[in-house]
Formats: sequence, structure tokens, C-alpha cells
Amino acid sequence: MSEADLLERARLEFDRAMQRNIKGLSYFASPAPVLGASPKDLLLQRGTMNLYRYRPMADEVYRVPLLLVMATTNRGYIFDMVPGQSLVEFLLKAGYDVFMLDWNPPRADERSLRLEDYVLDFVPRAIEAVAAETGEPDFTLVGYCFGGVLSLLWAALHSNGPCRNLVCFTTPVDFRAMEMFQAWADRRFFDVDRLVDSFGNCPPDMLYAAFDMLRPGARVAGNIRLWDNLWSDEFVQSYRMFDRWAADMLPLAGEYFRQTTKLLMWENRLYEGGMEVDGRPIDLGRIAMPFLHVVAEHDHIVPRGASAPLIGMVGSADKEEVVLKGGHVSLVAGANAVRRLWPRLDDWLQERSL
Amino acid sequence: MTGSIPTDPAAFFREMLGQWEKMANDHGTGMMKSSEFAQAMHGATAATMQAKEAGREFMTRVLAAYHLPSREEVAEVAGRLQAIEDRLAGIERALERLGGAPARAERPQPRRTKTPPEKAR
Repeated sequence: MSEADLLERARLEFDRAMQRNIKGLSYFASPAPVLGASPKDLLLQRGTMNLYRYRPMADEVYRVPLLLVMATTNRGYIFDMVPGQSLVEFLLKAGYDVFMLDWNPPRADERSLRLEDYVLDFVPRAIEAVAAETGEPDFTLVGYCFGGVLSLLWAALHSNGPCRNLVCFTTPVDFRAMEMFQAWADRRFFDVDRLVDSFGNCPPDMLYAAFDMLRPGARVAGNIRLWDNLWSDEFVQSYRMFDRWAADMLPLAGEYFRQTTKLLMWENRLYEGGMEVDGRPIDLGRIAMPFLHVVAEHDHIVPRGASAPLIGMVGSADKEEVVLKGGHVSLVAGANAVRRLWPRLDDWLQERSL
Repeated sequence: MTGSIPTDPAAFFREMLGQWEKMANDHGTGMMKSSEFAQAMHGATAATMQAKEAGREFMTRVLAAYHLPSREEVAEVAGRLQAIEDRLAGIERALERLGGAPARAERPQPRRTKTPPEKAR
């Protein structure tokens, strides 16, 4: 590095240090960005279940509506962060009619909700409402993470149903490959019955701690990076959005948590066979609609080994797996998603949404 | 690291931070994957649950002595009220439909005729 370069570098760092001081103060004094603000209407609200319809942003839309199914652990606004960084807004502008099945924290009296309630009640009610609202008999189902698992279970039971296309984002099927969660859910030490009987619903702080422990160095390094980048409005806004979303976790309904722990984490039934919903066997090979699975190369929550078998298990003739750079969250939201996933998704959906 | 002598202290600091994070993640997850860690973690959770159960039992007795409902009982009543409200909303919607209200939204619906844009070759 020449002397001139060194001086320029020093000037830049000095400038950033000044900006850090000025903007650091406004960081603590300013409110967090408003998230999930795309105009929408609440079509259905029943306990933990919310179904929204986003107001179209185009005069002409594709015939087939699109239903997003959010993971039950987190809020759906990951799909609708801020204008310009909202998958929902992107899809609306691209001409899709977008609905979202999102979740409220389950109430104390909803501790008895089971997997059956999600797969055979909430998802079908949302699908009926989409059909009633649009007048269209078919739709595209898009599930994220465990929302993908719910979508798969529903689709496997309704292979001749109205689902035109099925899209999963980073959806686990081989739960043995989720090594960290497996270690923590070790049945020799983890008494899930006692936890559910004691707490009712699985507390969100417990889930938050588990997700946080997957990357033990991330919080400290993230805070240092925030300080280092306080001069950058773009970085700070992005940090605040993702930090708020990650901390905004939902409790899980007690019986649902007990069931998923035993059937999926302990017995790995979705992958090894024997999975049933309300006594009805689940065979992913019966899924026949066009299928897209998008996974992240560096996913620390759903490792590649947990999601990779899905494409081979689904019976569809028209099926595709896309591996994109990024992590579990940056796959669907943020600057990487804007460049990678969103255009890819639009490209795949266009011809299949007529 | 590239092995060359760093000339930019800021870039060096950022690279070191990345290295430290990777090392902390690798080392931490390696340790937390062990059965000893799981055992200790669930031991702490069990102690929390035991304390919670004991506290709840004690408070329930105290509140019962004063003829007051416990938190669980209040939450259950609130839940039942919410469930009744949900059912009422459902009945209201059903009645609206029976009364001839259109099932589809009154807002103007977009035309569902969009076709994919021509792709540049």
C-alpha cells in the first residue's frame, strides 16, 4: 500500500469513526424500522391462525393465487420486511395475488393443538378462503422451513387436490441430520412430556436460546460488526430488521411440540417412514404437482443433509432443487435474496401460474 | 488469512473478527454437541421447571385461601372468551353469506389474465 493510499485509508477510517459517534447516538434514540407494512386485509383469524391477503399492486395478475405458509416458530414479516426488501412486495409487483398464513402466539388454552390441527384444519381453511376470495379452484403453496413441512404433509394427503404448484424453502425431512437439535433433544436427557406438562406451550425464550446457540460466536461478532458499521445507514437498518425478527419468536403449542419432538426428532418418521397425520399415512411419493425446493448452501438451522433428500422423495415428474448461496434467513430476505431467490422464484412460477 | 503482512489495520481487524467468529462457532458447537452438555442443559431446565411447579403450587394455594383465581384459571377463562369470540365471528360470516352478501371481497379485483413477459433471447 502506497503512502497516498495509506493516507486515504486513514482519512476514510477517521470519517467513519466520526459518523459512528454521531449515528451511534441516533441509533439508540430512533425507533426500529416498521416491518410487515405492505397493505393487507385479514381474511381469517382464529386463535393462533391468521390469513392475510395482500392488496394487489398490479392491475393484471396471474390467474393462480399464491399462498405463503410461515414457519410456526417465527413471524411472517420475514417475507415483508421494508419496501424494496420485501418478497411480498416483489411478488405483488411481479403480478401475483399473494396470501399468507401467519401465526399468532398460541394462547394458553391452545396448548392442546396438534399437528393434525395445523395440517387438517388451519391449512385447509386457508386454502378454502383463498378459493372463496379469488374464485380460482387452484393455487400455489409456498412453505418456509417448518411451514414447508406442514405444506408437504398437507400435499401428501391431497395429491389429487387443488394445489397447482408446491414450493418449499429450506425444508427439513431427515431430522437426524440436524445434529445440534438432535444432541439437545436426546431423549435420555430431554423430558419433553415434563416440559409440555409444566409449561403448557413451549416457551419462545427456550426456542430463541436454542437457535442462538447454533452459532455461539455470532452474537458477539454481530455486535462488533454493528459498531464497526454504525456509519452505514444501510447496514444498520438491515441489522435492526433481522435482529428484531430473530428475537420475535413464537411459543409452540404444547401438544404440537411434543408430537414434532417425538415423531420427527426422535423417530425421524418423515424420512424413515411411518409418519401419520390423524391416522392417515404420509407418503411424499404421492406428491405429483410441479415442485420446487430452494435450499441455502450455508444453512446452519436446516443443514444440507436434512433438506437434501426431499427432492428424491417427492413423486412429481416436474421437480427441481435449487441450491443458492446464503443462509437460512438470507435465503428469503435481505440483499442476497433480492438478487438470488426472488428472480429465480418468479422465473419458475410464471409459466406455472397461468 | 493470506499470509502476507497486512498493511490495512481496519481490514486486518475485520478479517480477524471473521476468523474469531468461525473459530468460536466451530469450537462452541463442537462442545455443545456433546451428551455432557445436553445433560447439563436439561438439568438446568429441569431445575427451572421444578422451581416453576413449586412456585405455581404455592401461589395456587395462597390465591385459593383468598378465594382468588390463579393465573392459569384467568388465562383459561380468557382463552374460552376468545374462542367464543372466534365462533361468533364465524357465525357472523356465515349469516352474512346466508343473507346474500358476496363471498368475494367488495374491493375491485385485479384481472387474472397476466401472462409471462417475453424473455429476451
